Amino acid sequence: MGIGRRDFLKKSAALTAASLVGINLNIKKDGVTLGESASAGENLMRIPEEVKNSPAYKQEGGYTWVRGVCRFCGTGCKVWLGFKDGKPAVIRGERNSAINFGFLCMKGMLFYKLFRHPDRLTQPLYRKSKKEPFRPISWEKAYEIIADEMIKAIKKGEWTPYGWSGIAYYGSGQALTEETYLFQKLFRCIGTNNVEGNPRLCMASAVGGYLTSFGTDEPAGGYADFDKAQTIFIIGSNTAECHPILYRRIMHNKLKNPGGYMVINVDPRISPTSKIADIHMQFKPGTDLALLNALAHVIVNEGLYDKEFVSKYCAFHIYTKGRDKNPLLGHQVSFEEYKRFLSKYTPEYAAQICGGNITPEMIRKVARRFATTRTVSIWTMGLNQRTRGVWVNNLVTNLHLLTGNICKDGADALSLTGQPNACGGVREGGGLCHILPGHRIVKSKEDRESLEKIWGVPKGTIPPKPGYHTVKMFSAISYTEQDRKRFPGLKPIHFIWIEETSPLQSLPNVRRFREGFARDDVFVVVNEIFPTRTTEFANLILPTPFHFEKTGVYGCTERRSQLTPVAVKAPGSCRPELQIIVEFAQVLAKKLKRERDPRLRARAHTVYQCVAPFIEAAKKDPWWELAKAVWTEYAQHVTKGRDSTLAGATYEVLLERPDGVQWPAPTVEIARKGGTLRRFVVGKDPLATEFVKKHHLEGWEVVDYGHLHCLPTLPPESRYRFWIWLRPYKGPAEPPDAEYPFVLSTGRVIDMWHTASMTGRILELASDYPYAWVEINPKDAQRLGIQPGDLVLIETRRGKNIIPARISTDEGPMEGMVFVYWYDQEKHRMINFCTLDAFDPGSKQPEFKICACRIKKYAPAQPLKQYLVKLVKVKGGYLHNAELDPNER
Amino acid sequence: MEKKRATEERRKFLKVTLGAFLSGALTSSCDLSRLKNPKTMVKSPIGPNILRPPGAVPEEHFAQKCIRCGRCGEVCPYHCIKYFDVKDGGVFSGTPYVNVMEKPCYLCMKCVYVCPTGSLVPCAKEDVRMGVAVINRQICVTWQQDKTGLMCKTCFSVCPFSGVAIKIDHDFRPYIVEEYCTGCGICAYSCIADTWYENNGKKAITIMPIKWKKIKEIKLEDIKKS
Repeated sequence: MGIGRRDFLKKSAALTAASLVGINLNIKKDGVTLGESASAGENLMRIPEEVKNSPAYKQEGGYTWVRGVCRFCGTGCKVWLGFKDGKPAVIRGERNSAINFGFLCMKGMLFYKLFRHPDRLTQPLYRKSKKEPFRPISWEKAYEIIADEMIKAIKKGEWTPYGWSGIAYYGSGQALTEETYLFQKLFRCIGTNNVEGNPRLCMASAVGGYLTSFGTDEPAGGYADFDKAQTIFIIGSNTAECHPILYRRIMHNKLKNPGGYMVINVDPRISPTSKIADIHMQFKPGTDLALLNALAHVIVNEGLYDKEFVSKYCAFHIYTKGRDKNPLLGHQVSFEEYKRFLSKYTPEYAAQICGGNITPEMIRKVARRFATTRTVSIWTMGLNQRTRGVWVNNLVTNLHLLTGNICKDGADALSLTGQPNACGGVREGGGLCHILPGHRIVKSKEDRESLEKIWGVPKGTIPPKPGYHTVKMFSAISYTEQDRKRFPGLKPIHFIWIEETSPLQSLPNVRRFREGFARDDVFVVVNEIFPTRTTEFANLILPTPFHFEKTGVYGCTERRSQLTPVAVKAPGSCRPELQIIVEFAQVLAKKLKRERDPRLRARAHTVYQCVAPFIEAAKKDPWWELAKAVWTEYAQHVTKGRDSTLAGATYEVLLERPDGVQWPAPTVEIARKGGTLRRFVVGKDPLATEFVKKHHLEGWEVVDYGHLHCLPTLPPESRYRFWIWLRPYKGPAEPPDAEYPFVLSTGRVIDMWHTASMTGRILELASDYPYAWVEINPKDAQRLGIQPGDLVLIETRRGKNIIPARISTDEGPMEGMVFVYWYDQEKHRMINFCTLDAFDPGSKQPEFKICACRIKKYAPAQPLKQYLVKLVKVKGGYLHNAELDPNER
Repeated sequence: MEKKRATEERRKFLKVTLGAFLSGALTSSCDLSRLKNPKTMVKSPIGPNILRPPGAVPEEHFAQKCIRCGRCGEVCPYHCIKYFDVKDGGVFSGTPYVNVMEKPCYLCMKCVYVCPTGSLVPCAKEDVRMGVAVINRQICVTWQQDKTGLMCKTCFSVCPFSGVAIKIDHDFRPYIVEEYCTGCGICAYSCIADTWYENNGKKAITIMPIKWKKIKEIKLEDIKKS
């Protein structure tokens, strides 16, 4: 037999055709999009009656709208969440808001996709050992376990001047004010000052800066100053990406006043912000202190300073180690001494240190512009994340005080916050180891006692010494030989409760902390909505509601507090943090009562007393009434009479206002009008007016009533005045050298938020930014033979990363510097394996921005995939995908 | 004369049989009813968002030049190069394309070097002209910011030539500089205008294919026409 030629041809033709058909199989994408996993027809709305009867609720265009605040950055944009058919379907800006005027960025517009995301945690998960899989347990069982483990950890540690050494709380600038307040109250009542939060990584230096310059925390003006300013001095901030709504405001002002509005951007990197800059000052990373002192030198020597303002309202201070006891106070010096101190920092000297494109002429030009026009300075992590963060904050404020560019319209030293509630929750709510709510400090006996009186707990409940700051706290968990050497007398921590943050991705030099957390003698409780790089090391994961699924207040950069009411039902058995605290404290109190140790038994009462005022509200309605009760205690009692008073800002007023309330707002009438825009100005700030009357300071237009500057021990020439600090130049902790010749700096990108556990799950954003990259100067790239997209090996003394390169000719870091984005969860692209954990001795904020590294080409370009930590079902429970993957451990 | 007629007859006969053979061969393997339009047998399926890979010769020559070897798709690290099916366009079946809405071209320029026939001509990244992006200002959330209040810079920040091929004006509204747009489609793929509730899932950017010759002197009017 055989096959005919024609047959053969026919068949082969058919085969070819078939193979061609087979090449392209149009497989339709799965139609399920995020945020829609609720069953059809289910109504997800949970709107309290009180909200329904307020201006924060409306029906329009077939949608039901509820007003709240954006979940992301520190700008504090007011948003409307829209429901269609009972499901969250859209977010849009509030037009009457004085912050965003209806504008939003993409993160803000898309976060509704995270309600009912399939990755959401919906039940408490527990495991005894970190090697086992997680098993779901009930809430009651979870409380029992936490209480037992906590008492065990307390007993393992000892009683110290800062309280129990074995336990710690690590909070977040993204937790609501009520939550931070109640969490820190609980931990102080249990008896420890080991209360910290991630604002230590982002805002601590600004706190130190304001505290030393003004005697009290937080800025004097607000965003409204952008509209009346003539010069915007941006230093260490990529406003275009990190605060896009504010960037828009600045840009619009610039366009409205052609020629009359100057933007000066000071940054070693040409960032998207540089696009609107008239002058871009590019200096070597870590030389900012010299540059700012040189600006002051020009202002003083050319006589451009505001003589009246300086002589009337300013004093000069210096801190000399050995001579002065308190670094916050230092001692007073004369103007002549300040002049002598500045004489070293000539523009020529500074230009030589700063390098980059800085010339003496440029410094003179900028200083003259700064002094002769109304100027607003804005800065963020570029200044704060430095080993001399407090000093450099002081130096910026110095320029404003010298030139009188403060306490008037269009002139302010404004530190932009990174997180939505770092100001409101943590700085005002007492979420750090050395501060207590209402701008009180732990070290002050008077402050502690006033708080104990309000709380109704016995005197001496709050330990008198500050606890461990972030780096020390996590070192006490890893507790290696090296840690003990670095912090003499370090006591180990065996229990940590982490709230709404992922420190095991966001801490610097994170490897050693991760190794510590992997041990089984540390019990880790994490409150989270999604699996993260931190839940990976948890013993107990408590699922909590997302934004708009619980009620609470966020306080943004400009001292503004805004309310977000509950509007969406939380998935599964999620419980709001406030309910968790109240219920857990009752369990803990019962267990403490049965203890033998009298010190522990005595704490049973204080712990119960801590939550006693909220037990009824928690039973009645944990979603709205409980938050309201906590806020009432915080605002009406704790902040009353303090400079951060929110006594007038009740929930009713906050629901009414389209843009929240700026403290000081001592009465409801003032709060109804939006509070105080300008602090320290007599006539505009009710507290200043009162203060001047009380202390008989006739003729004072501006008064610094910050508690540190009113101490009776101060010389009269420094009292009630702003302080100009003498801060010498100091370089970074780890400058580049022959072995590690590059400077490594890290930052954020517009559409990705911090560790990307939320934004990484919004498909639209994640498809644009699936992985992090390193920005390299084209000249360096050419020298090292690195092409765009190539995988680059970054090595520091602490770790290494493999990251794709991006080389742009019109944007990017200066020569000798590389810039990496830190949102990526993939282990090899987590840049915090490389960053340095040296910290500011004043603010204890680590120096993320500068460390030495070396780079080389690792592999040619290849497609990379997004990596997200997820829970997967395994035999006997759940594990994180990262725990199963040996590459990721 | 008669001979000539006979030749014509023969030619006609040959044509008919060839046609019959071809259609027979095709029907044996695939259902003809799947062909959307019989015309697609000869009409190029290249259209909005469906583009040739980088460096492709003009469309009228492409199908003749390409030998359907499949190397370009093989080497593409992002798997964005796909091949036309018979049902997409008969004579174009097996030729490569990029559907930017499924996966855009990331301009790695690997495909042009493996093409054995010169259907894809090696060129520099910035010289690629797969098409040109066109922004629908009625859909773009930033162009409609009076209505939406949104400041989206997504297309601008993802563009490999951001600031050159896509620029943003003082209100963050994006516009395309046609002269420099490579048509890679990353902006169209990333556009998130479809998530805005009033847009009914429409994206604001479309990549229109352009003719090779016109690359340098292409004008806005031409794009509007197309």
